[in-house]
Amino acid sequence: MNSVGLFILVLLYLVLLFFIASVAEKSRKPFWVNNPYIYSLSIAVYCSAWTYYGSIGVAATRGLEYLTIYIGPIIIIPAWILINAKIIRISRVNKISSIADFISLRYGNSRSLGALITLICAAAIVPYIGLQIKAISDTFHLVSHTANSNNIFTDSATYVVALITVFSSYYGTKYVDASERRVGVIAAVAAESILKLVFFLVLGIYVTYGVFNGWDDLYAQASTFSDFAHKNSIGGLTGALNWCLMSLLSMSAIFLLPRQFHTTIVENRREKHLRTALWLVPLYLLLINIFVFPVAWGGNILFKGASVNAEMYSILIPQKFGQDVITVIVFLGGLSASVSMIIISSIALSIMMSNNLIIPYGILNRISESNVKDNTKLIVTVRKIGIALLIVCAYLFYKFYINENSLFSVGLMSFVIIAQLAPSFFAAIFWKRGSYWGAVSGLIAGVFMCYKMLILPEMSGANVSHSFFTIDYFDPMTNAFFWSLFVNTVIFAVVSIFGKGNYTERNYAEMYVDIDKYLKYQDSAFVWKGTAETEDIRRILIRFLGEEKTKQALHIFNQKYNITDEEDTADARLIKFSENLLAGRIGTASAKILIESVTKEDKISLPEVLGILEESKQNILLNKQLTEQSQKLKQLSAQLQHANASLLEKDKQKDEFLDAVAHELRTPITAIRAAGELLQDDEDMPEGIRSQFLYNIISESDRLNELINDILYLDKLEHTEQVLEIAQYNIKNTIKKVIQPIEHLVEKEEIKLDVRLNLTREFFYYDEKRMIQVINNLLANAIKFTKDRHGEILLSVCNPQENLELKIYNSGKQIPDDELEMIFEKFYQSRNQNLKKPLGSGLGLSISKKIIEAHHGYIYAKNILDGVQFTLSVPQNYDKYEKNNYSR
Amino acid sequence: MKKRHEQKLVLVSIIIFILLNVPIILLFDKADKVIGIPMIYAYIFMVWIASIAITFFVVKRYNE
Amino acid sequence: MTSMKKIIIADDEHKILMSLEYSFRKSGYEVFIARDGSEVMELLKTETPAAILLDIMMPNLDGYETLQQIRAEEQLKDCKIVIVSAKNNPADIQKAYDLGADAYVTKPYSIKKLLQQVDELIT
Repeated sequence: MNSVGLFILVLLYLVLLFFIASVAEKSRKPFWVNNPYIYSLSIAVYCSAWTYYGSIGVAATRGLEYLTIYIGPIIIIPAWILINAKIIRISRVNKISSIADFISLRYGNSRSLGALITLICAAAIVPYIGLQIKAISDTFHLVSHTANSNNIFTDSATYVVALITVFSSYYGTKYVDASERRVGVIAAVAAESILKLVFFLVLGIYVTYGVFNGWDDLYAQASTFSDFAHKNSIGGLTGALNWCLMSLLSMSAIFLLPRQFHTTIVENRREKHLRTALWLVPLYLLLINIFVFPVAWGGNILFKGASVNAEMYSILIPQKFGQDVITVIVFLGGLSASVSMIIISSIALSIMMSNNLIIPYGILNRISESNVKDNTKLIVTVRKIGIALLIVCAYLFYKFYINENSLFSVGLMSFVIIAQLAPSFFAAIFWKRGSYWGAVSGLIAGVFMCYKMLILPEMSGANVSHSFFTIDYFDPMTNAFFWSLFVNTVIFAVVSIFGKGNYTERNYAEMYVDIDKYLKYQDSAFVWKGTAETEDIRRILIRFLGEEKTKQALHIFNQKYNITDEEDTADARLIKFSENLLAGRIGTASAKILIESVTKEDKISLPEVLGILEESKQNILLNKQLTEQSQKLKQLSAQLQHANASLLEKDKQKDEFLDAVAHELRTPITAIRAAGELLQDDEDMPEGIRSQFLYNIISESDRLNELINDILYLDKLEHTEQVLEIAQYNIKNTIKKVIQPIEHLVEKEEIKLDVRLNLTREFFYYDEKRMIQVINNLLANAIKFTKDRHGEILLSVCNPQENLELKIYNSGKQIPDDELEMIFEKFYQSRNQNLKKPLGSGLGLSISKKIIEAHHGYIYAKNILDGVQFTLSVPQNYDKYEKNNYSR
Repeated sequence: MKKRHEQKLVLVSIIIFILLNVPIILLFDKADKVIGIPMIYAYIFMVWIASIAITFFVVKRYNE
Repeated sequence: MTSMKKIIIADDEHKILMSLEYSFRKSGYEVFIARDGSEVMELLKTETPAAILLDIMMPNLDGYETLQQIRAEEQLKDCKIVIVSAKNNPADIQKAYDLGADAYVTKPYSIKKLLQQVDELIT
């Protein structure tokens, strides 16, 4: 087929791709949008021209080695259920748009780290893209039987590349927001995956069954080669070590290659699509590798002796047999493989470059000042240019650097460079201690090792210098891989451990490593110390999302958290929410910068907040305790003061009492002394007076004694509970005992004494001795105060309800109303004419009251009729008395 | 999918890693013909197919 | 008969009155007894004693009040008043002198001494 024809074919092919892409775009049917198979097939972009041509070349010339590129992925893919699920969750929550975003966010949303990673990716991938271009170009020339020309403009490959560039730029930048899936592009890539597989299978079947007579025939012929056994073995321990390291290399590549991260993580629509990928991707890889052995050895057999590029076997074999159709099919298959790789890689890289290099360091200011449309346009333009630029660079790279080298070695070099991201990448999701400085220093060290051990020798074409770093049983590539990654990891770990991360990093570390826990708390997991005006946030959002979308988003947010739309200050959740929204457009680092520009102060982490809250809580508790204690103290002090006052009062009372007592005691003493003195001095005292004085002495001594007894008794009454001896007595008898001794006195004084008993029973509970004392006291008073008036005394006894009641009425002058209660006070002295001191001690009424109260009764005085009536009442509750049955 | 089923898959990964690396892989490190292909290929592909099959079954069975 | 010294003895304790009355009579006084302040004032309407013995603690009119009233009377200014009391704190003593007492005697007292004091006061 001639070159023009082929070119047209290429064109048609690309149109087909366009078509598929646009159909997928327009139709929003679940088939296109929610399809786990499309997702899984898009991951198969891993198989690029390298698979198509490079593998065969390696299989034919070196042997089993080519398989290592796939061994890594098939080993690790089942574990994606754990690893990738985590990565997908983290990425969705943070609107991660690229691997640079993913890693740089983890280490403190660092702009510089993002830029560094972008540069490393660019360094790794541009050559890789160059590879694809080389493959397309070489195969194009091969199929069209044209030669490579050094003139770019006459080189047909150039135009092919140009077409691809256009396609990529257009579809790659259609959507600025990371959340909007590039359905069209992914659909096209999935279609390409199908095509390249099918085409390769066609080739394989053709070679195995068409050219040869099946596997056995092939094997029989191949095994005649002297190096057959050698090539088809791993190569002992040395080989196994290399094998192992290479699988590790490809294992990291399946995660870290920008196109892989993009299709697996960024373009993932539903987490459960991952489950399909778990078996579908290894299956795909298996299918595409089945026929590598036949094709490789078929080529070896067919082209034995000829110096032919084994990488081109897949074209050369059908071509040799004039199978034009198959040749073209193979070419298209290879084209598919290359194109899909170029498209996805360039898209991924351009996103990284715009979000991590250009926008943060360049045009950020311009962006925030313009409006939405301009902003979007600007970003899109930046990305378009980025894509074009990348492809152009790759092309130049191919033209000037890799013309001589094999696909395989360039590819491996690319892998080794991208593998430098491994320590920081994997540590991001498993190791909280990983720090920004660790990542940066590890990366730089690793890249430096790569440069020294890979790039330099490659560029200079010289042999790898045998330095300290050369481990003899490693391939140069493996050697470079081992040492660069070793140095990288060690420095990363050491710097991370010995350095102190800042809180921003720790926040992200928490979120990444414990993403599941974090997802529970979502928007509120970060707390800002600062504040922002809602208006400022809105303004920024409008610039990027537009008026409509911003309003929608904020409305949803406000509804979710029940905040009014009028709220002036943006709280922590709104800030986080806005940051997220923006990150989808311009990447997390830039979003962070913009948001920070309108908020004051820094974030503090949830753990820190919890710490502060805990402290506050403790302080409040402490405060409360202290306040309580101080209250108690106040109370106590008040009580003490009160007690003190009362003690002072009692003290005063005691003093007064003692005063009164002393006074009372002195009176009979005076009488005694006076009488005694006279008796002593006067010898001729008349007998009558003598005996009178002697009598005085004795009676006053008795009085003194009684007084002292009363005082002591009163004290006892006041200070002890149980001074009564309660028993059952006949009240009639008791009264008789009282009245009998004073009967003659009453007669002498001509007082009419009446005793009236109104009782339902005779026996009552009381202390008889004391009761006699009381009644005696009252009667004595009564007698005293009626003496001058020839009055009458009425003693009445009754038992209403449960009480024994006694009333003693005496006619005579009444007690002033305000003194009715005070007469029961100790030593009460009244001014009133009628209230002379009672015959006794002056404590009589006081003692009587205490006695009755000890009976749980009461006593009071009342002015009635013509005189005064004293009433006393003693309750008769049997159980009370039982309780009060005192020991004798 | 429940945690323990996820762990089954991780186990598959670990097992394949061991099977496809030293020392086990060296047991099959020959180019002798087994079902038309060198033994080493046969072994690798067998393991490969088995892992796909197991993964497929685990996913299908425990997919909620 | 002014040769006999007149004295009013006021105390509400009968037995004390008895003793005092006996001893002052024996010493040649004409004794008038009173049981409270009002009785003293009553007596003073008709008699002009050379001295008055006043107990403080008396019903109706107590010693201080009686003292006050007596001292209010111009014609009794020469009358010597002796306060007799069981209380012996300085405040009471001071009060008595402030009100115009001439002497203050605390119970219990020696009758002999009391007699002596009164004698001295009168002469």
